[in-house]
Amino acid sequence: MALSSGTAPNGARGQTVAQRLQKELMDLMTKPTPGITAFPDDENMTIWTATIEGPPDTPYADLTFKLWMKFADTYPYTPPRVLFKTPIYHPNVDFSGRICLDILKDKWSAIYNITSVLLSLQSLLGEPNTSSPLNGQAAELWDKDQEEFKRHVLARHKQPEELDAC
Amino acid sequence: MYHRSRVFASVFPVPSLSHTTPTPIATPDLGYAGPGQSFGSPFVSNASGQHRAVRRNLAWSTATRFLSLPKLPLGDTSLDLQQTPKTAEVEESLRYLLVGEGKGEDGHEESLVDWYTNEAGLHFANFVRPTLEELWDKEMDLRHSWDALQQTQQILHQVQHLYLQPFNDHIIPLLYHDGSSSTIRPNKPEQTQAHSTNWKLRRDIHATFAHCLPPQRFSKALSYVLYDAGCRLFHIYVRHDGVVVSSTSENTVEFRERVMTLLRGLEQVGLGGDNAQKAFAHAMNRLVDSFILSHYLKVDWYSKKSVVPHLRMWIKDGFCPLVELVLGCLKCDPSQVEPTELQQWQDMALGRLGRARVDNLFDFVINWNKSLGAIMDIKEYLRLSGAKQHLTSSFSQQVSRRLLHAGATTTYILNVYIYVIRAFHELEPKGVLLERVARPIRRYLKDREDTARIIILSLLTDLTDNVGDKFAPGSELSYEIASEMQKPIANLSPDQDEELNWNDMNWQPLPTDASPDYKKAKVEDVIWFLLTLWDRENFIDELKNILGNHLLRCQDPEYEKEIRLLELIKIRLGDDKLQACEVMLRDVLDSKRINSSIRASGASQLLPSPQGYPSTPQSSRQSGPGPSTPSIPPPQGPRLNAQILSSFFWPPLREDDFLVPDQIQALQKEYESRFERIKGMRKLRWMNALGDGTITLEFADRTEEFEKLTPWQVSVIYAFQPQPSEEWAGGQGKGKGKQKVSGVTRNVDQLRDMLEMDEQLVYQALAFWVGKSVLRETHPETYEVIEEASSSNKDSDAAAAAQEIAEVQAQAQAGAVKTQADLLQEKKDVYMSFIFGMLTNQGNLPLQRILMMMRMMVQGGFPFGADELKGLLGEMVTAEKVVNMGGNVYGIRKG
Repeated sequence: MALSSGTAPNGARGQTVAQRLQKELMDLMTKPTPGITAFPDDENMTIWTATIEGPPDTPYADLTFKLWMKFADTYPYTPPRVLFKTPIYHPNVDFSGRICLDILKDKWSAIYNITSVLLSLQSLLGEPNTSSPLNGQAAELWDKDQEEFKRHVLARHKQPEELDAC
Repeated sequence: MYHRSRVFASVFPVPSLSHTTPTPIATPDLGYAGPGQSFGSPFVSNASGQHRAVRRNLAWSTATRFLSLPKLPLGDTSLDLQQTPKTAEVEESLRYLLVGEGKGEDGHEESLVDWYTNEAGLHFANFVRPTLEELWDKEMDLRHSWDALQQTQQILHQVQHLYLQPFNDHIIPLLYHDGSSSTIRPNKPEQTQAHSTNWKLRRDIHATFAHCLPPQRFSKALSYVLYDAGCRLFHIYVRHDGVVVSSTSENTVEFRERVMTLLRGLEQVGLGGDNAQKAFAHAMNRLVDSFILSHYLKVDWYSKKSVVPHLRMWIKDGFCPLVELVLGCLKCDPSQVEPTELQQWQDMALGRLGRARVDNLFDFVINWNKSLGAIMDIKEYLRLSGAKQHLTSSFSQQVSRRLLHAGATTTYILNVYIYVIRAFHELEPKGVLLERVARPIRRYLKDREDTARIIILSLLTDLTDNVGDKFAPGSELSYEIASEMQKPIANLSPDQDEELNWNDMNWQPLPTDASPDYKKAKVEDVIWFLLTLWDRENFIDELKNILGNHLLRCQDPEYEKEIRLLELIKIRLGDDKLQACEVMLRDVLDSKRINSSIRASGASQLLPSPQGYPSTPQSSRQSGPGPSTPSIPPPQGPRLNAQILSSFFWPPLREDDFLVPDQIQALQKEYESRFERIKGMRKLRWMNALGDGTITLEFADRTEEFEKLTPWQVSVIYAFQPQPSEEWAGGQGKGKGKQKVSGVTRNVDQLRDMLEMDEQLVYQALAFWVGKSVLRETHPETYEVIEEASSSNKDSDAAAAAQEIAEVQAQAQAGAVKTQADLLQEKKDVYMSFIFGMLTNQGNLPLQRILMMMRMMVQGGFPFGADELKGLLGEMVTAEKVVNMGGNVYGIRKG
């Protein structure tokens, strides 16, 4: 067997982040959680694309959302930056995809990982926090008129193929 | 002026220059009127002019008659100067014409000297030239150059003598006399007139000589003669011109005399000078080349010394004196060799020697150590400017032409690489050159699949036992690597920066051609170079695989050699990384102890104390069965020895599952229970595919013993034991053939079901037994035990054929550690989920991109190529998870 040469060595720190992410990837792939998946964009593994499916029995059921994740060198001691790439109508997500979620900010802990972040986001879809909204209209509608809310969600949503096209 | 007018005259005859034959005595001088009688011109001056003309004509006639050269073809006798006696009249005429009034008036009348020159030229053209042309007009064999030159020289010498004799005898003294007597004080210009006249004549004659010889041919001949002379003087027998000289030694002194005589002669007849010097330069150029190729500068294979000092000495004490001698003979201007020239010549010769050596450097490298002399020569050569570039490019070319091709085995390349390391270390201890020339070799070795395996196998090989067959040509093991392993390791201080060690009095700057970031390898150890071909981790993984295989097959109960080698590798690679290997070694050593203690407990029903058991932290232990060795007591029933391996530390092992014979199973159970008693909670998992067995087969007419069988071979042959339902032959121990004359028959399907064994393995085992003449194939896929060996030839033919097949299959099956294909199969699910995840998130991707991502992302690497990946994707397409979008682009199947 020929020995393949390993990846180019980064800094000591970069190495550990890459190793950690590689391990997480391995876990994601070998023990997949239904409805969520993620994969790195390129070889340096700091930027990932994740896919989550809208939970059933919510306005987001049967919809697929793509997310953009970026891991700093200090991961897992600092949270990853996460954005929705698929346009989404949600009380805690603004129109450019920024997310208001406590565990991605001050409540972050090093025990979280990609799977837990994605699961939290998935549950956020079903249970928005309307008390501190980024999208006030959505928060209002969520509380008042679920039908109207769902219409907004569907109007705003785009299929991944449409996203890729633009 | 002179030449121009001659050229002109050669086309348009000018009276004053056109040559006249000596006037015959009887010729009436018609233009002459009697003295005092006016012949037309009334002027006295004219009359006196006429008078002078008449007188001059007379004198001319007399002088030219006297001086005319014999009109005879060139021959020995004719060249004797038959001198007509010099009468007073002649004397008078000469004086009159040369120094008296009759001296030629410029541009109007021909001077006697000119006439004589012409006379000589004519004579030469008429009588001498044909002879010379005959000698020179066709391309001559170089070997005849000597004769030709000598003959030419002789002829010209004689002719020159012929021409100059009268001139010197009669004309020069007059001119001299005139110069000294006409004035009271000897006048310089007057005196030199004689000289210059003499010189002019000589020059004309020489020009005539030179023109008559074909210049190319002549210089070629001369150059050859000089070269030949040099070769003979220095006794050089291998020559550029291909002339084979008998090696009988000539008398050097005599020969040198001959050369010198010839050269002096040539110089005297005007054939020296610039052209001769050029020819000489050519000759010396070739002489140096010949000398470099000669036996004097052959590579010193015996005393392994450089020949460069010898070369320098020869240039100084042999070549230069010769050059000076020849230059002296040819009367060249600076006939001494300057010291700077000597230095230049030595360098030039060294450069040529070096280039000649470098052209064969590859041969020297593969004959390393015997070729030390040549390497030392090259080392000297490297001091010259441009030498390193030449060496690098030339050697790289040789390497790529002669080494880095598919025809060379990896072992061979590795051996050559080791020689390269050693030889270049000698050439340039700083290692810059080595780094440069070794780069292509290293790159090539990395691409070879079996490189790592061969290196490690060779490292594990013991030099001391039966060296003969292991390192035979064609063998995979490299003797060089094995022997390097035995060498003591230089004491290395790895953390010390050499450049900062200010106390190092032997410090030397890096060579000028080192790249700025060049860092000298701190260890000059060959093994180090081999081990750094890859990343350390990768190498250790491979080492683990091979060591595992090696340990499982190893016969030495003490594992002495393996322990020693592991220690050696530890020193080189650092022991922190080799923990797994150590555990593996510990496992096999401990297994032995456990075996004996379990057996003891079986015999005495006593629990042995678990002391001495390794405290490695793994929880589960695996074991491979080592089926019985019946020769050891108790003779009844098989015996079982187990190898207990710590699964965590061993490389992935084969896990073919099948049923082992019942007796073995029983033994395994028993062993397991005892082991658990000794080891508390530890569990054993049997790996039936590993291990080996020794069995005895009893047939109707014979008993045969087989050793080192694989478990599946044992199981298959055991399956030919009659089943209890058929006819139980009694508990005589396993592996007994049946005693009935018609052997038991089984077919492949039966066997597969009975043993729950992979069909591949069944076939392989069957082929093995057919090869051993234990089974025969009665119908396709149906086999029968050969109970009586005295059966037909057909069996032995079939046996031979089957044996071959069995061997080939055994090769493929042999490894205890998993193969690539096994790995791919095993990890297929992981890979597929990777691909699925990738395509889900990243959208449609081309095959190459997927492959690259797999290589980057999968933990533990994706050691497969595009073909395997394509196979995987194909399976996923079939499973309707993925679609091929065309053009090798794949995407997720929607919905």
